[in-house]
Amino acid sequence: MATRDKILVLDDENDWLEVCRDYLSQLPSKPEIRTVSSGTGAVAMLDAEPFRLLVCDLKLPRMDGLQVLSIVRRRFPELRTVALTGFSDEDFRSRAYAMGVDLFWLKSDMQQNPRMFLECIESLLGTEDGGGFRDVKAKNLLDVIRVELALGNSSVLRITSGWKAAHVWIKDGQLVDVRADGADGEAALRRLLNWKSGTFESLPAEPSHVRIITRSVDAILIESAQTVEKAENPTPKQEEEETRFVNRLTAVAYEGAEFVVTVPVKKSEAAKGWGIKEVDRLAAWARQADKSARRLGEKFNAGPLTHITGHNLERHLLLTQEGGRIFAVGWPLDADSEHMFERSKKLAETWAS
Amino acid sequence: MGILNWFGKPAPDVQKLTAGSFTVDRHGNVLTTTVGSAYPQWLLDDTAREVLALFRGAHDAQMPLTGLELHFAGLDITAREMQGGAIIFVAPQKAVASSSPACKDHA
Repeated sequence: MATRDKILVLDDENDWLEVCRDYLSQLPSKPEIRTVSSGTGAVAMLDAEPFRLLVCDLKLPRMDGLQVLSIVRRRFPELRTVALTGFSDEDFRSRAYAMGVDLFWLKSDMQQNPRMFLECIESLLGTEDGGGFRDVKAKNLLDVIRVELALGNSSVLRITSGWKAAHVWIKDGQLVDVRADGADGEAALRRLLNWKSGTFESLPAEPSHVRIITRSVDAILIESAQTVEKAENPTPKQEEEETRFVNRLTAVAYEGAEFVVTVPVKKSEAAKGWGIKEVDRLAAWARQADKSARRLGEKFNAGPLTHITGHNLERHLLLTQEGGRIFAVGWPLDADSEHMFERSKKLAETWAS
Repeated sequence: MGILNWFGKPAPDVQKLTAGSFTVDRHGNVLTTTVGSAYPQWLLDDTAREVLALFRGAHDAQMPLTGLELHFAGLDITAREMQGGAIIFVAPQKAVASSSPACKDHA
């Protein structure tokens, strides 16, 4: 007997979870539907057992949906993901697709046209996961581009693989430009062809896009094909860095923090943040707070500064130092304030290691 | 005799800072205080200035705060924002070491 696919639905509203369960239980393949109401819970469940698909609300109280999706795209690359939202926001949509979400759907559209939604979900469940580019089964990216060129098409292919995104400009069957991994032109094409799997969508042509690639396409493709054959798996160092990054994000998710910003004490080094947009401003304030507190500590002869906390109507903020960096950790208001320092310290240690 | 005088030098003052609070207006002026003479005026002024600057800085960083706590090994400074000013609590956790600059006249 074939095992049933499992779908995990993440939403903070129980009523909506029930609505989703009702809809998804109508799928022809009769998948098993599980629900969860928090991002941390979702990551824990995905860790504990295999799921085929995650349906994720984007507006969540602590770790928002995009943060959850960011984690699962890295940690569970084979998991199909659907972003559901009540707001028609182009920024949300583009950010969701940029991080490799398979499907972006409005809740209102789902209720108005459940049949189409269910067909898309069923299609996602049926997609093979043995690598290759989804939407063109068992094809590699080179095949996808060759088809576009052979048909003499004009289009822009948007390709996503995990959190990476690339664009391929094609005009009248000619390869015009490629942007991928921070490169453009032929270099970008070579990098892009090393991607093992992903999704692509065809966007409207951009006739005015400046042509960067001028060499014969066949020459590039032959050379690129050779490159693909020679392509090696990520180096151990790259794999190690990726693993470390995922571990850090997962630690934040498990602890329930809203965001983490790491601020090198030296101003010459850039701050990095996860889960927050205004990294540089917060980093500047964190440095200011650290300096001010230390000045006051000396004047009061109060001993070493252990940490700084702040709060407003939405969250707690905690600053602590670890390994030459200030860590600014955001916590939800209902976080256990007694253990916030220990938990922040633990996060900082994970991050600094 | 000189060596005896040296040994006979009075020990540094040991003074335990007491807990207390003070309020400051939006300009940093101390309005009321319960901390007593353990904390010289200049120290209260400096604390007020730093705390208000931190509240404003947090606001500019789009992380406006209504409360702020600085935790040291021997002291906690807690501030609550009040209409641009603040009420600031000072709570030593244990006897503070001697020769504190806070316990000396401001140079």
